[in-house]
Amino acid sequence: MLLFSYLLLGGITTGALYALVAIGLVVVNKSTGIINFAQGELFMFCGFLAWMTHVQFGLAYPLAFIAATVGGFLLGIVTDRLAFRALAKTDIVGLVLATVGLAFVLRGTARMIWGGKGDYLSFPPITSPEPVMIGDIMVVPQQMAALAGAIAIMLVFAAFFRFTRIGKIMRATADNAKAATLVGISIQNVYTLAFGAGAAIAGAAAVLAAPLTLLYPDMGFSFFIKGFAAAVLGGLTSLSGAVVGGLLVGVIESMAGGYIDSSMMEVAPFLLIMLVLIICPTGLLSLHKTRDV
Amino acid sequence: MTDLALAVRGVSVQFGGVHVLDSVDLSVRSGEIRGLIGPNGAGKTTLLNVVSGIHAPGRGDILLDGTSIRGHKPSEIARRGLGRTFQTSRLFRGMTVLENMMTGLHRRTDSNIFSAGFRSRRAMAEEREAEHAARKSLDFVGMAQFADRRGTELSFGQQRVVEIARTLISEPKVVLLDEPAVGLSMNRLAEFDLLLRRIRDEKGVTLILIEHVIRLVMEVCDKVTVLSSGRVIADGDPNQVRNDPQVIEAYLGKELRARYSAS
Amino acid sequence: MPMFCRRNVLSGLFILALGVPAFSNAYQLFVANLILIYVLLAIGLNVLVGYAGQLAFANAAMFGIGAYATALLQVHLSWPFYFAFPAGTLIAMAVGLLISLPALRLSGLYLALSTLAFAQFTQWVFSHWDNLTFGAGGFKSPPISFAPLPVSKPVGLYYLSLIVATCVTLFAQNVVASRIGRAFVSIRDGDVAAQSLGIDLLGHKALAFGISGFTAGLAGGLYSQLLNFVSPEGFDLFQMVIQKATIVVGGLGSITGSVLGAGAIIIILELLREAKGAQEIVFGGVLILFVTFFRRGIVGSLQQHFRGWDEPLHSARPIGSALPSQVRLGEKESLS
Repeated sequence: MLLFSYLLLGGITTGALYALVAIGLVVVNKSTGIINFAQGELFMFCGFLAWMTHVQFGLAYPLAFIAATVGGFLLGIVTDRLAFRALAKTDIVGLVLATVGLAFVLRGTARMIWGGKGDYLSFPPITSPEPVMIGDIMVVPQQMAALAGAIAIMLVFAAFFRFTRIGKIMRATADNAKAATLVGISIQNVYTLAFGAGAAIAGAAAVLAAPLTLLYPDMGFSFFIKGFAAAVLGGLTSLSGAVVGGLLVGVIESMAGGYIDSSMMEVAPFLLIMLVLIICPTGLLSLHKTRDV
Repeated sequence: MTDLALAVRGVSVQFGGVHVLDSVDLSVRSGEIRGLIGPNGAGKTTLLNVVSGIHAPGRGDILLDGTSIRGHKPSEIARRGLGRTFQTSRLFRGMTVLENMMTGLHRRTDSNIFSAGFRSRRAMAEEREAEHAARKSLDFVGMAQFADRRGTELSFGQQRVVEIARTLISEPKVVLLDEPAVGLSMNRLAEFDLLLRRIRDEKGVTLILIEHVIRLVMEVCDKVTVLSSGRVIADGDPNQVRNDPQVIEAYLGKELRARYSAS
Repeated sequence: MPMFCRRNVLSGLFILALGVPAFSNAYQLFVANLILIYVLLAIGLNVLVGYAGQLAFANAAMFGIGAYATALLQVHLSWPFYFAFPAGTLIAMAVGLLISLPALRLSGLYLALSTLAFAQFTQWVFSHWDNLTFGAGGFKSPPISFAPLPVSKPVGLYYLSLIVATCVTLFAQNVVASRIGRAFVSIRDGDVAAQSLGIDLLGHKALAFGISGFTAGLAGGLYSQLLNFVSPEGFDLFQMVIQKATIVVGGLGSITGSVLGAGAIIIILELLREAKGAQEIVFGGVLILFVTFFRRGIVGSLQQHFRGWDEPLHSARPIGSALPSQVRLGEKESLS
C-alpha cells in the first residue's frame, strides 16, 4: 500500500507535468494542424531561464516562474514570426521538419550557454525535500507543490479559453478557420498566439518540474515524446483529453518502474503508445468520426 | 440484367445518425451517359464515394458489370474497371502532366521493383508504351501540347480535363465524373458534350456524371436520376424528368420553373 | 546537353570517389567512407519521406539494427562478415517491414509518433539487453580482412562502400523513374486520387518502408566496420536529424539530391566536430533555412539555374503556390 500510494502520487505528479506539455502541443495543433517538435526543447530552455533567474541572479521563485513563462511566450512568438509564417504554404512534412530544426537550435544554444558546467544543473527545492507521512501514505511536499501548480495552470488555461475574448477567438478559429476569416479574425495572429501560448505553458511546466529533476540540455526530448504520447492518447485536439493522457502516461511509467523493473520506466510509455496506436489508430479517447477523405 | 454496367441496390449511408443516402437504387446500362442531379446536400458525391469504395455502404449492394464490389478497397474497385474524377483537381503536384497520365496506367502495367531497378528489356518496353499511350490519351482530349508542363501550371479547367484523360487511359468500363464542367472555359464548355459523347462512342465507356450545368445534362445524358435528401425522386429521360412536378418542386425551384415554362 | 549537367557531375563525382584512397590521408578516407554510408541512408530515407511522403522517424533505429545485427552475428555466432553483412541488412529490412505493418494504417502525425516510439524502444533494447547487445557501453566488432586482395582494411572497406553505394544509387534511380516511383509520389500528393487509379496504398507504403530498411541496414553494416565499434549512442535522435537534414538539404524527392545532401551534411558535420552545441545549432538552422527558403534543396536550385538537372518526378518548374488543389496549412484533403 505504501509503495503503491507512493508510486501513484509520483506518477500523478509527473503525469500532470506531461499533461502541461501535452496541452501546449494540443493548443498549437488545434489551430495550426502541426505538432511542434520543439515543445520539449522550449520546456528545457525555459527551465534554464528559470534556473538563471532563481539560482544565478538569486531572485525569488515566483519571479523565476514569470521569467520562464514570459520567456516561453516570447520564444514561441519569435519562432512563429521567423520561420513558420514563411512556411504557411508548405505541407505538414516541411512544417514538422522545421520544428525539428528549431528543437536542435534550442538544444545547441542551451548547450553552449548552460552546458559544460557538469552539464547537469540542479534547481533547489522550494519546499522541504523530506517526505511526510500522512497516515499510511508517504507524501513528498515538493511533488504536491508541483501538482498543485500544474492544476492551477490548467485551470487558468481553461478559464483563458472559456472566458477571455482572445481565447474565444482562438477556439473559433480552431473550429472553423474559414468562417473566422470571414468575420475578420486574422488567422496569422491566432497562429502566433497559439505558438506563444503553447510555449508559455511549456515554460510554466518547466518551472514546476525544475525542482523535481535535474536540468540538462538533452532533457527536452523525453518530455516532448511523453507529452506527444499523452496528446495522442487524448485525441490530439482535446485539452481535457491531453490531461487524462498525461496522467495515464505518468502513472503507467511510475508503476512499471516500481513494480517491474526500474529500467522499464523509460520504455513503458513507448510500449503503451505503440500498443494503443496499433489497436486504435486515432488515439484512445478520440470519438469515432467518419474519416475526412 | 447482364448489360447493366453498374447497379446500385438499396444503398443506405448514415453519418452520425443522419441519412445521407436512403435506399438508393440506380441501374445504368452499358454505353449509357447518366446524369445525376439534385440540390446541394442531396448525397450525390456521397453516392459516388460509396460506389468507388471510399465509404462503405451501411446497407445495400453495388454491382459492377454484374459482380458485387461492396466492401472492396477503392484501389481494388478501380482495378475492376471503375474510374472517377473529383470535384477539385486531384492532379499530383510533383509530377508533369505526362507523368500524371502515366500514373493513370498503373493498373495496366506490371513491372516490379526488380525489373524496374535493373531496367529489364520488358520494363523499358512497357515504359515506352506507357508514354506513347499517355501522349495518345492527352491528344484525345486535346491537351497534347501540355504534356511536359507541371499540372499546377494549367488552369483549373485544363487540370480537370487532364484528370478525365488520366482516368480514361486505363480503359475503365465505367467512369464517374463529379461536376466535370466546373472551371471549363466557354470554348471548352461548348465542346464538352462532344467530348463526353466521344468518350462513350470511341472508348466504349459508360459515364455517370454529377453536373450543375443543366444545359449539358439535358443535351448529353441519355437518362437523368434526381437525388434529393438522399433519395431518388425521379429517374428517366431528360425531358420526362424536367417536367416531373416533384423534381421541379424539390430541385429546380420557383425561379427555374418560371424560366423553363417560358422556354 | 550542357557540360554542367546532372549526369556529368555525378559521373565526375564517381571518378573522383574512385581516386580518393590514392590522394587522401587516413582521416580524409574515413570521412569519404562516411559520406558513402550517408548516401545509402539518404536514398532510403528519401524514398520513404521525399517520394512516398511518409513522415517516419525510425530510420536511425533501422540503421542501428543493421549495425548491431551485422556486428553481433560476427561476435556471438562467429559468422564471417560476408555472411553477417547481408544477413544484418535483411534483418534490418525485416524489422522495418514488421514495424511498418501497424504503421501502414497510420498517417501523418500518428505515424510520426509511432515511429518515434519505436526508435526510443530500439534505443532502450540496445542499452538494456546486456546479454545480447553488451549494454550502453557498446562493444567492439571484429574488423574484416580483405585477405587475398592486396588492400588494407580501410581502403578495402571504402571500395566496398563505394560499390554498394553506387549500385544502390543506380538501382534507386531506376526504381523511382518507373511506375513504382510514380505510385510513391501519387500517394504523397493525394492518396485518395491514387487509390482511384488502382494504386494499392498499403503495398506501396510497405515497399517504401522495406526499401528504406534495406538501405539503412546496408549502411549500418558498413558503419559497424568503419568504426569497429557499435554503441547505442550512434543511433539516437541526433542521428535521425542528420539523416533528415541530408534529404532536406539535398532535395526531397530526388535521388541526386540525396547524394549531394549526404556529401554536404557530412562535410559540415566534420568541420564542426569539436563543438556539439554548434553542430546542433547549425543543423537545426540549416533544416529551418532549407525548409523555409530552399524548399527544393540543392538540386532544386541547380535545376533553376542550369539546364540538364531535371529528374523524373522532380523537374525544374516551380510548384505553383496559389492553386485550389493545394492542401493548406491545417486543412485536410476534403472530398465534399
